[in-house]
Amino acid sequence: MSELASNAAPRPSHSSVVRLHVPRRLFSTLEGMFNEDVFFLILSVFIGIFSGLAVVCFRLAIDWMHLALLGPLPETHGWRLFAVPSLVGLLVAVLVIKVFPGIRGSGVNQTKAALYIFNGYIPFRTAIGKFICAALAIGSGQSLGPEDPSLQIGASIASALGRQLEISREKLRLMAPVGAAAGLAAAFNAPISAVLFVIEEVIGRWSAGILGSVVLSAVSSVVIVRWFLGSEPLFRIPVTTFKRPTELLAYAVLGVAGGLASVAFAKSIGYLRPRLKALPGWTQYLQPAVAGLLVGLIAFLGAPQIMGAGYDSMDQAMHGQYAWKFLAILAVLKILSSTLSFVSGSPGGMFAPTLFIGAMLGGAVGDLERIFFPHLTGSTGTYVLVGMGVLFAGFLRAPMTSVFMVLEVSGNYEIIVPVIVANTVSYLVSRSLQTIPIFDLLTRQDGLILPSLEEDREETILRVEDAMLPVPATILSAQDYVDANHHRIQDSTEPIFLVRMHPSGWNVISREQLERLFREGKGEHTLGSVLLSQFLPSLYPDLPLDTALRYVNDYPLIPVVHRADSRRLEGVVSRESVFKKYGSRRAIEVPAST
Amino acid sequence: MPRSAPVILVLLTLAAATGFAGVSHLVARFTANQQARGRKLYQQGLDAGGAGRYDDAISAFRAALTCDPANSQYQLSLARALRDSNDPRRLDEAESYLIALWQRTPQDAAINLALARVAAHRASIEDATRYYHNAMYGVWNANPDFNRNRARIELIQFLLKERDSSLAESELMALAASLPHDPADHLRAAQLFAQARDNAGALAQYEEVLRLDPRNAEAAAGAGAAAFRSGNYATAVRYLRVAANGDPQDANSRELLSEAEQVLRASPFQSHISDAERNRRITAAFAQAEQRLSACAQQRGADLEAEGSPESPLASLQSRWIAIKPELARLKSPAETALPDAIMDVVFQIEQQTATSCGPPQGLDLALLLISQKREAASQ
Repeated sequence: MSELASNAAPRPSHSSVVRLHVPRRLFSTLEGMFNEDVFFLILSVFIGIFSGLAVVCFRLAIDWMHLALLGPLPETHGWRLFAVPSLVGLLVAVLVIKVFPGIRGSGVNQTKAALYIFNGYIPFRTAIGKFICAALAIGSGQSLGPEDPSLQIGASIASALGRQLEISREKLRLMAPVGAAAGLAAAFNAPISAVLFVIEEVIGRWSAGILGSVVLSAVSSVVIVRWFLGSEPLFRIPVTTFKRPTELLAYAVLGVAGGLASVAFAKSIGYLRPRLKALPGWTQYLQPAVAGLLVGLIAFLGAPQIMGAGYDSMDQAMHGQYAWKFLAILAVLKILSSTLSFVSGSPGGMFAPTLFIGAMLGGAVGDLERIFFPHLTGSTGTYVLVGMGVLFAGFLRAPMTSVFMVLEVSGNYEIIVPVIVANTVSYLVSRSLQTIPIFDLLTRQDGLILPSLEEDREETILRVEDAMLPVPATILSAQDYVDANHHRIQDSTEPIFLVRMHPSGWNVISREQLERLFREGKGEHTLGSVLLSQFLPSLYPDLPLDTALRYVNDYPLIPVVHRADSRRLEGVVSRESVFKKYGSRRAIEVPAST
Repeated sequence: MPRSAPVILVLLTLAAATGFAGVSHLVARFTANQQARGRKLYQQGLDAGGAGRYDDAISAFRAALTCDPANSQYQLSLARALRDSNDPRRLDEAESYLIALWQRTPQDAAINLALARVAAHRASIEDATRYYHNAMYGVWNANPDFNRNRARIELIQFLLKERDSSLAESELMALAASLPHDPADHLRAAQLFAQARDNAGALAQYEEVLRLDPRNAEAAAGAGAAAFRSGNYATAVRYLRVAANGDPQDANSRELLSEAEQVLRASPFQSHISDAERNRRITAAFAQAEQRLSACAQQRGADLEAEGSPESPLASLQSRWIAIKPELARLKSPAETALPDAIMDVVFQIEQQTATSCGPPQGLDLALLLISQKREAASQ
């Protein structure tokens, strides 16, 4: 007994019991505070932190690769320009095909696919593969950027975290876009643009929950990146001015040029990519190497600026370091080199090349315009900045993001009007010549059918007013006697009548019901007193017609009232009128889609 | 929602802290490595810039900045190299680097000075003046007084180059008030005063130099020249003699000395001379003026005796000379107090007109011209 007693665990004293219970109580109180929405918001901050840390490492890896493979900038040797991108291209091809399948391309579509097809699932292996292969490809000089891979790394980390934490499927789907925003914000050091891009291009809808999570993750990732890498901007922005409204014409011309360049860039990718993918399997191993060799050749022949992301060259273009002819040549060569790098299957992003092409094109167009019109006051830097947005709007088809991206990068709101004008023109030109946006084109080439957010934005929505019937000739009043109302319907042939209730609201009664009330001797009662007190729902003319679908099976007639005066009847909808409208639309759409 | 949210959040916090520590270590190592490379490249840039190879310097500074993008010293050096490369297209880039630095530390005098020099390259008086003033009143890490005076001197030189004398003179006055007791500084200030045609200011600074360093021949020459230009010939002679004796190779001082002595010998308006000497000088000047007039007419091929020709300025002056010549005899009369001025007025007009028509005079004619200019300045 004594032995048993001595072997038993010591009995906790009164005070130690209290100490154990306090954390439990605290935990249970804390658990009570966290519903899934709150937890998801807090999780977004962690996603931002982890994505930010990953992007910091990714950027270091690219810089380190560049140094190790191509050597320090002023001492880059000629032979390395050829050898490095080719040999590293071979290695990348092996890694992409054998070890990390699914990391080809930019990563934007994969994130979108995760959201719409794979319930938010992106393998964590993708993050690792993207990290290694994109760092190798970009560090060795392939003409691609680090932003889209950062986006995918962020999305992949977020997806993995969501799966580990076993959050609901609905939230898990959103994890990838939240991580994508964090990755992109960290890569660009621009949280607003990242949030807008993800909302505009990946998620496609706004809601407080999504927006809050995306913003939190983007901001926390940017804080992390600035903590480690400093808050130096991507570019040193020169003095940018916009003085005369007439100069908007000059920016509109830049918009046209940007739209055409965007189409050329998108069409060359759209044309070459499926053809290269269709080549025999063994050629896939050689394609990144050949692309690297060609990019190196371009660099060797006098345009090393096209290698890698090219931010330093954009910075120099912004400060008027290149003549307009050279700027134009660089824009063309970048289209060529980025197309080669991208279609070869090298992992890397299109954001930086897009900005590069836009910057060079903007500078070239601006300088050329000033030759013919010397009174133009916009500096080369202004045109370079506007040019960046122009290509962003035209090629990536993200018009809102393009405007905010320029403003966020430049920190200058003086050029907002030229940016909006040029970006809009570029977007319209690009849309009219290239119907399918580049990201949608790439997904379709990959055999995936993802919702086209641009098409969604453009889709005309059927509204209640489209199915609305005129105000009925006979409207009964709840304050009148059944006799009077019965007398009123004698001139009408309608089977159903709306009843105006007092002091507001609507109800409905059939001819048959009213006849019965009359026959039952309730003629001396007011109609309101004998009707059920349940009121009809009212609709507004501008509501989507889908709203009416919720009611048409329950009510024979639904009043459509004015938003400012609910007693003012605008018309009515019925089951037949709604279905007829949907039917007529399908009848129109079917031939159009075929 | 996961059932143990607080536990998860604690674990995530721990994971984030671990990641943070790991990335900090990586970044620190990478940064140290990059900074070492940056320092090497920066030194290369400094060497190239020092040798005037600005393109090489720019490329080295750019590379240094890719290693350490936030390094203000690299940015400042790159901006300076861009500015000094004498390529107008690079001024914009230099300015944007400097503006970015200025936004972070607007009180930094070195950055303001660099911006002032960019504005000076652009000949923008307003911007340059503003930035030079910022540099003067900003924070210097070393030798603040010396650097402030240097910035002010640069501003004055810039203003003089841009021919804004009024601003330059006000800066010169401020400079004179803040100079230390160093002959070299006062000598530099005196030269700037002279450049600004402020002869009184220049003379005062040269005299300060001579007070501190009485054997300074350059200051003596400068003081003499300044006194000469301001019409103070007695003072000029005093300093120019010191200068000429101190530096036998100083031909300019000798020439000025000779002219000043000639002026003192020829001027009838000297206060300490007798009436007889005054009359003698007037008579000599009158005769010299006639000779100068005839020589000038001959040089220009004009016949002062011809009748019926339209009256030229020279002929008119000849007429006036002839008209007043009989009055010379009455110079001795004490009642004729206005006569000396009247005669010398004709002499001065002849000297001024002939200087205009026939080029700069020599010897006594030059002395008479200088006396006329001094009289004219005094009367104004």
